[in-house]
Amino acid sequence: MPDASRDAAAPAAQPESGNLVEVRGLTKLYGGLQANKDIDFDIPWRGIVSLIGPNGAGKTTFFNQITGLDEPTHGTILFDGVSVVGLSPHEIAVLGIGRTYQNIRLFRDMTVLANVMVGRHVRLRSKWYEIILHLPWVKREEDATRQRARELLDLVGLSQKREEDLAKNLPYGDQRRLEVARALASDPKLLLLDEPTAGMNPGETQTMTAFIARLRRELGLTILLIEHDMKVVMGVSDYIAVLDHGEKISEGTPEQVRSDPKVIEAYLGKQATA
Amino acid sequence: MEGQPATLARYLRRAVVLGVVAGLAAIYLVIVGIVPAFELRPLITGVLGLGLTVPVVAILVIAYHAGRTPNTWPAPTGGPLHRVVPPIVTGLIAGVGLGGLIVIEELFSPRDILPKLTPQTTNIIGLGFEYPFGPLAIIGLCTSLGVLAAILHVLEARARRALVIAVATVLTFGLVEPLLRVMLLQLGRSDLAAFLYQAGRHGLTPIAALTVFILVLLIGLVWQYRGERVRRRYERLPSARRTSVRYGSFALVGLILLVLPAIIGSFLSETIGTVGLYLLMGLGLNIVVGYAGLLDLGYVAFFAVGAYATALLTSPVSSLSWEMNFWIALPLVMVVAAITGIAIGAPVLRLRGDYLAIVTLGFGEIVRILLLSDWLRPWFGGAQGILSIPPPELLGIRFFGPQQLYYPILIAVILGAGVSWSLANSRVGRAWNAMREDEDVAEATGINTTRYKLLAFSTGAVFGCLAGAFFSIKIGSVFPHRLDLLVSITVLSLIILGGMGSIRGVIVGAFVLVGLPELLREFGEYRLLIYGAVLVSMMLVRPEGLLPSATRQRELHDEETDESQYLTQAETAIGGPGISGQPA
Repeated sequence: MPDASRDAAAPAAQPESGNLVEVRGLTKLYGGLQANKDIDFDIPWRGIVSLIGPNGAGKTTFFNQITGLDEPTHGTILFDGVSVVGLSPHEIAVLGIGRTYQNIRLFRDMTVLANVMVGRHVRLRSKWYEIILHLPWVKREEDATRQRARELLDLVGLSQKREEDLAKNLPYGDQRRLEVARALASDPKLLLLDEPTAGMNPGETQTMTAFIARLRRELGLTILLIEHDMKVVMGVSDYIAVLDHGEKISEGTPEQVRSDPKVIEAYLGKQATA
Repeated sequence: MEGQPATLARYLRRAVVLGVVAGLAAIYLVIVGIVPAFELRPLITGVLGLGLTVPVVAILVIAYHAGRTPNTWPAPTGGPLHRVVPPIVTGLIAGVGLGGLIVIEELFSPRDILPKLTPQTTNIIGLGFEYPFGPLAIIGLCTSLGVLAAILHVLEARARRALVIAVATVLTFGLVEPLLRVMLLQLGRSDLAAFLYQAGRHGLTPIAALTVFILVLLIGLVWQYRGERVRRRYERLPSARRTSVRYGSFALVGLILLVLPAIIGSFLSETIGTVGLYLLMGLGLNIVVGYAGLLDLGYVAFFAVGAYATALLTSPVSSLSWEMNFWIALPLVMVVAAITGIAIGAPVLRLRGDYLAIVTLGFGEIVRILLLSDWLRPWFGGAQGILSIPPPELLGIRFFGPQQLYYPILIAVILGAGVSWSLANSRVGRAWNAMREDEDVAEATGINTTRYKLLAFSTGAVFGCLAGAFFSIKIGSVFPHRLDLLVSITVLSLIILGGMGSIRGVIVGAFVLVGLPELLREFGEYRLLIYGAVLVSMMLVRPEGLLPSATRQRELHDEETDESQYLTQAETAIGGPGISGQPA
């Protein structure tokens, strides 16, 4: 990531207190398997909250329910005061949730710039008939979108020289940055990052961690993080929830979670400290 | 295999394999009868017929290929031998194959199993020489082709391009003789026509062929070596001048398009009209398949709906007998089209890839069978269809006959291309592309995939229905037999040939795949065979199509190099010490 001197967008005007996300009694059943079991979970405005737990603990299932890819069996999810249960993913995206994926899922055969511009889709208003008629605001909106996309590429530290490259031809670390830029393009209130440092070396991991903190500081984002790397989690989170076998077994500040015997047990004796 | 050094021996082994392939391909072309049938059409009178040209070009291309280094091989070591020797070997082996065919005919006359292998045929491939000199002649010719391919490899890229273009132009001039001769005569240049083409026969005169070759070669060389300078000078022009140059060229193209039907006459206007209809369909299907990635094999359904809707609304003998004016009916047809698109799109929203292809294939057949059925005969007329569709009238002008109908079709095509281009380069086009790449992520990014799929289907449907509407007034009647699967396949093929997602590609594809066969009507029975051969070789040699969109070209040609780059990066990342795949 580039040094944190330049800022692409002003922090959104948001209330400083209260919760952006409130989850109550969230349960997801896959046949007999309880992937999520009666989870209560809050994300405060402008918070950085992490969700950790061993593989198969139900973290991604939780993510998928918030973004609408999966529908909860029981329970409620309020986002900014609106219930998102039963909404389709694109409606939830419009409300202001952006996400990245554990195994990078870019639009591989589209250009870098187009990937970010697609991310902005929900904030664009041109209709197909307006586009066919070449009404003046269509071009204006298109130019503004391209401009905004370039700013975002700049923000995540991708060179404009590569904006016409295909996404799949970027190096691995740049692909992760591009995913973040695409997610940011929709001006989200909540950013969900699914293992943002997976596959990165220590140096890259460190810049990514700093970048996450910077996103909140400069863009006023609220961030929910799934992460395996304890260094990242402990370093950047205000609050951590631990899932195991679909249940929330612990929560609290990094220090509280670090010393919770239940957490240490869940990780089979492996130290939760790093 | 990958790790082996690219020694000359390795090239030679490959050259032998390619030689056998080229030989078998040429033998196949002979024994299925393409060579003897096509030989009836001379390209250069008395020198070269179309029949012999087909295997000759095939062998030349394969021999040239033998001298290239595949992407997966390491860079060759040593001198230019690896580029020169393999093509000659390939040519020689292919020649031996064809020579052997002549020998077999001479010794065994296997007419029972190979009915097309006649002495006349062997006379063609023996270049007119008597046995036993015929086989030697063809071996000599094929070896010379190998030598030619080797020379092409040695030449500088710019000279090579100029030479290839010159040869291709001569062959094209010979091939489009029916078109060009008529145009020249219409323009009052019978002297030029007489110079270029042998009176009473197809094909260029030898002297004209030579003239064209030298002229084009010279122009090509000048352009290849000096063209860069012209382009730079053009770019240095002030933008106002550049705009006027651009508008000037637009005006010129526009003028040519306007007077074209008068120049080319009735028969060729008819052909151009047919090309236009397929172009329109190609533009429509390109939106569905190329942009949105929805493989629709039943596109003919929309064509049929357009044709029948027009017939029902305008024909005095249709069951409705509303006798509407065509131009009033047209917007109605487009509305019907959009509704049909949604009606066919809605049930298949959840299907992807192969499943979608099969179901749409079924829809296409259902529409045809319904139109043919006795059950709906009172409305659609069964096998007889609907007759006497009147020619459209506008402000007292009757669009009757191919030379007049050319204009509305031209306008529809230009509008269609404009609409297609605008949508592709907008929010809508990006949403379609994203959906094609990864539907789930597109949805999570905020794209209403249901709506955009239906939009793609109905836009495609409108294009298809427009083509159908013009088809019905062009023919003056509609009946189900013209609306079969072959239409869908042709439209899809022309998109693949031209390049998925590329408007220029659709235009080229339509002319090559629909226009050219019309000029070569006498070889109609080989049409599908040639389609197949063209498509298979396209997939092998140039999978992105003739004129691909810029993105798509990168997509397919960066693959080999960049995939490996990506892998090594991923490997380093995984092997790196910082990764914690397990919770720490």
